[in-house]
Amino acid sequence: MDYDSCNTDLHLGEKTFQLSCHNFIQHSKAIGDGWVWESIEATNEGYMKKVLLKMKNAFGYTIPEQQKIVNEKTYRQEFEVQDTMDLEEIDISSIDLSGREMIRFEYHVVYSSSYQVPVLYFRACDIDGRPLTLEEIWQSVQENYKERLLEGPWETITQQEHPLLGQPFFILHPCRTHELMTPILKGAREEKQSVNYITAWLSMMGPVLGLNLPISYTTATSAQQLD
Amino acid sequence: MADLDGNDCISLPKLQFTPFSSALDAGFWHELTRRKLNDYRLDESPRRIKGYYCNGDPDGLPMRLTLEFSAFEMESATPTRCCAATGLLYNTNTLESFKACDKKALLQKSVEEIWKSIEFDETPDCLNLNRFLLLTFADLKRYRFYYWFCFPALCLPEGVHLLQPPAPLSKTFSLNQIKALQDAYDALCCRTGASAIPYFVVKYTVDSVSISPLASLEEEVRAQKKVTIGVYDPCTLPQYPGWPLRNLLYLITYRWGQVLDSLEVLCFRDRTLQGMRSLTHSLLFEVKLPKLSNASGCPKGVGWEKNQKGAMGPRIVNLSECMDPRRLAESSVDLNLKLMRWRLVPTLDLEKVISTKCLLLGAGTLGCNVARTLLGWGVRHITFVDNAKISYSNPVRQPLYEFEDCLGGGKSKALAAVERLRKIFPGVDAHGHHLSIPMPGHPVNFSEETMQQALKDVQQMEALISSHDVVFLLMDTRESRWLPTMIAASQRKLVINAALGFDTFVVMRHGLKKLPVQDSSTSSGDTGSTSLFSNIPGHKLGCYFCNDVVAPGDSTRDRTLDQQCTVSRPGLAMIAGALAVELLVSVLQHPEGGYAVASSSDDRMNEPPTSLGLVPHQIRGFLSRFDNVLPASLAFDKCTACSAAVLHRYERDGFQFLAEVFNSSHSFLEDLTGLTLLHQETQAAEIWDMSDDESI
Ligand SMILES: [Zn+2]
Repeated sequence: MDYDSCNTDLHLGEKTFQLSCHNFIQHSKAIGDGWVWESIEATNEGYMKKVLLKMKNAFGYTIPEQQKIVNEKTYRQEFEVQDTMDLEEIDISSIDLSGREMIRFEYHVVYSSSYQVPVLYFRACDIDGRPLTLEEIWQSVQENYKERLLEGPWETITQQEHPLLGQPFFILHPCRTHELMTPILKGAREEKQSVNYITAWLSMMGPVLGLNLPISYTTATSAQQLD
Repeated sequence: MADLDGNDCISLPKLQFTPFSSALDAGFWHELTRRKLNDYRLDESPRRIKGYYCNGDPDGLPMRLTLEFSAFEMESATPTRCCAATGLLYNTNTLESFKACDKKALLQKSVEEIWKSIEFDETPDCLNLNRFLLLTFADLKRYRFYYWFCFPALCLPEGVHLLQPPAPLSKTFSLNQIKALQDAYDALCCRTGASAIPYFVVKYTVDSVSISPLASLEEEVRAQKKVTIGVYDPCTLPQYPGWPLRNLLYLITYRWGQVLDSLEVLCFRDRTLQGMRSLTHSLLFEVKLPKLSNASGCPKGVGWEKNQKGAMGPRIVNLSECMDPRRLAESSVDLNLKLMRWRLVPTLDLEKVISTKCLLLGAGTLGCNVARTLLGWGVRHITFVDNAKISYSNPVRQPLYEFEDCLGGGKSKALAAVERLRKIFPGVDAHGHHLSIPMPGHPVNFSEETMQQALKDVQQMEALISSHDVVFLLMDTRESRWLPTMIAASQRKLVINAALGFDTFVVMRHGLKKLPVQDSSTSSGDTGSTSLFSNIPGHKLGCYFCNDVVAPGDSTRDRTLDQQCTVSRPGLAMIAGALAVELLVSVLQHPEGGYAVASSSDDRMNEPPTSLGLVPHQIRGFLSRFDNVLPASLAFDKCTACSAAVLHRYERDGFQFLAEVFNSSHSFLEDLTGLTLLHQETQAAEIWDMSDDESI
């Protein structure tokens, strides 16, 4: 009985979720880390968001050869060279930087009322807006996480519709979150330490997806929690 | 004077600008799609949209103009520390009009607008110098988007010469000056309520820095000789300013070029890395302002963006992965199964299930239910074989058919089933064959033509079995199961068989014969090591015909089970169909697959051999008692379908042997296997009959 009531306590209510996010964002602003709160018009719902840009070859990502060939083929079929020749004029006042490509990673922290935990929604796209496939994202995740991702609770990455935006995102499914968070929250409680749920949770889930939290979050957000 | 200017200029390097790279977020395309379908439809008139550029990137990232899903809401907030840019969206209805669109004219029109506003506008802050054009065509059938950005820039005919090349601000400014610059900029932001200011005027001395809005430029020019202009610069390159400076320089040249000889430019770059804000990488340089003649008129413009290959041309982005409902359905189905694994059966090998190619012989009550359960398991490759057409009584019991399918003589079941599966799940790789399976005792030798047809049918059956991993026997006649049972036994393919009585059913896996090589090495001493009904390894398990003491034929002789009675309780096919698939999935999870030792009813209390549980040989169900039993039985060495004698003759003589089987009476097979002899000697057939008597 005692154990049960304690466990229920460790669930995250929506209000606490928003408060934890607020504290988290406050510190993010202080260190220029880019997390913002996006509210949904005419509701009190919202989510926490961060955009992270990375150079494409920073982690060995390459467009699959097959796709490259298909792209080139369609392109050549549909656009004759002469279509665009008349614009081909040398502009001496601009430098040529074509081929500099990057990937835009977008992380959303959304509250799940059915699981009563935060959920990490995640999407990565090319500079033209094409979302990366799961396989391409695997490639982008650091080497040592790949093995972890293929076993145990980390294998919960999958595709789902963003509940507030209605667009497909990848998520780390929340079915194991509570189980993973319980020992952390219990430990903190036993040592009478205050923990920001979002900080504790993101520092555990984030690295799997290439999202690393600076250590300063731990001290800054737990201190705020006491206010 | 003019000559001297010209000479000077030859020796001076020219200023170059970093062009914008367009950057789109997946949400932009989702929103464009939504608006095209709901609002724009066939209306091609240009729409106002907005993007933004930001300051503070780490080195190496392309300098971007970003459009997100919020680009269509002109009132939407610009992200902090970003400057908004407004643009016009030209969304065409066809690829042809996308191609035919006069890009030069579009650019020139935009350049003229900028030029006119420079010519007449009094307040430079209201000028829209950073505008863009976006030409798109959305191919919503293929989820392909064609697009081309233009960032119009007004050209100064001779370019701009550098008097002082760009250098980091830290070279000229002291740390105190840099701090003062930061404070002054923040103060102006605070005063104007903006989170970023695209252009401003800078005044500085050794120990002070002040910043004022661009509107004050007129005063500054009159008040002093040296003017410093600040630009919120999205570029990170150490030698070049970004695009936003370009039209501003034109403006200053146009308005004050006669008064000012030179201009100092501060490319304001403001970034925070690991909590440390820094402006030291801002650039400072000085340009010589060219003289424009008053009569020069509207200048030439540039600005169409190059594509990824560095050529002048549009870009194409394929978004079927995230927009095509078919692909989304597929990934959702997989998700469901993955969830089952994560939560309940962590060691489940889903790949093995999903990738199994299933051949369904029979697309009636059993076939329909088997197919639906396979879909539920994420199985992609499903092939139907049936020679029947859909009749009026079918749809209520056969869940892949509807009333409409019965009209006009009825559609072919095999083909209609495929059609329906694709409707249920477009990701399925389904095929259908309207094909009759030749049967023992059903002669095919009426003519050369019928013989040829039988040969063709046999060959097709052989090819189909060979190209699948599992054969489901779901027909409603016993004889039609003989040929596929034997071919599959010969090819060592797993067979799952389901048959219905009125209120009883049997679902079983046929014994999987060992490969010929192994067979010869272990053939002696094979019998006796296992008891009759327990611990029978997969290769010793019987097939559907092993229990029979008569060969299948065109007769209505006695049967232990099923199919003479074509009417069964309606729930039976669903139960048996579902069990057939679940039996397959359990067997697939066993490391030895079809060779796994058969589980029996007694094993229900023991540690299960797979993550999903038992792998029985047979499941016999009795609906009257709502009871199932799990008997196992050995292969019969005189079996008319799987015994060595039959397989040997088939493998040696092929169709010649089969034709004999089809054309002869059932005694042919009985003679061949020795059944006839057995018949005469004993009535012991009952030992094989694991019927209703088994108690649990
Ligand atoms: Zn047999």
